[in-house]
Amino acid sequence: MTASWSVILNEIFTGSISTVLNVLKVLIPLMILIEFFHVYHVMEKLAKKLAPVTKVLGLSPPAILPLLVATVMGVTYGTGTLIEMNKRSPLPKKDFILIAVFFFTCHGIIETTAIWGTAGASMLVISVGRLLFAGVFTMVAARLPIFKGPEYAEEQQEE
Amino acid sequence: MDLALQTIKTGFIKAIKTTLMLMKVVLPVYALVVLVKYSPVMTFLEGIFEPAMKIFRLPGEAVVPLITGLFTDEYGAIAASSQFGFTGAEITTIAMMGLVCHSLPVEYALSRQIGLPAGKFVLYRVFAAIIVGLIISRLGGVFL
Repeated sequence: MTASWSVILNEIFTGSISTVLNVLKVLIPLMILIEFFHVYHVMEKLAKKLAPVTKVLGLSPPAILPLLVATVMGVTYGTGTLIEMNKRSPLPKKDFILIAVFFFTCHGIIETTAIWGTAGASMLVISVGRLLFAGVFTMVAARLPIFKGPEYAEEQQEE
Repeated sequence: MDLALQTIKTGFIKAIKTTLMLMKVVLPVYALVVLVKYSPVMTFLEGIFEPAMKIFRLPGEAVVPLITGLFTDEYGAIAASSQFGFTGAEITTIAMMGLVCHSLPVEYALSRQIGLPAGKFVLYRVFAAIIVGLIISRLGGVFL
């Protein structure tokens, strides 16, 4: 060990508490904002306007809602929306996989940007950059030959 | 008006709950990383990963938040990266890579449960993180 135990213990406690406090400062207003989005159905309204985006990404139009919810509000709300939608009218399997590609690359954009922003990262790169990457990866994935297989044939006839 | 108040309350409670959950991650991660940082293991890790991190224009220490992120989550990665003096551009690269590829064990289990090809998605995320890291490390500095 290159430092004494009192220094180490002190660093663990002050450091971890200040990290949690920093995150908390960001998290409280954010969670309230996200809750407002949820209660006033902001995402549903926005989804209608953004529906054309799905075509570029290679998805069917209803897929925009879970995508938007997960991107803006976080993955918990996103999966919630997805499961709810699946109960009413199941999404095609291709959409399901593509939404996952997008989800995994980019979710909870407000929360993560704010938190990493306080840690010193460039907020512009983390928000816009991540959206762009997720978009491009989804577009590429949608055009992969794996979706030409027989298990996806049914959906393609519908189009 | 009542609905607005109720919404603020729900949001506040959710934030507190998230923070409590966060402390369970941050505290042990922080403790472990501080210990590793002052132990000989750190020089060893730095030495091994320095060439790999150079690809992403990061110092050898950057491997600590990246690995932490893989196994815990983005908060673990933040806790780990706040202990080293990374520059803004370096933090941005770490953040982007960590955000694409994090909490693999938990999210593997989750994606299996909802019926996704979980193994393929783990591979996809590692691959995506590498691509993102390569590009951002060369662009990140431009925005700062």
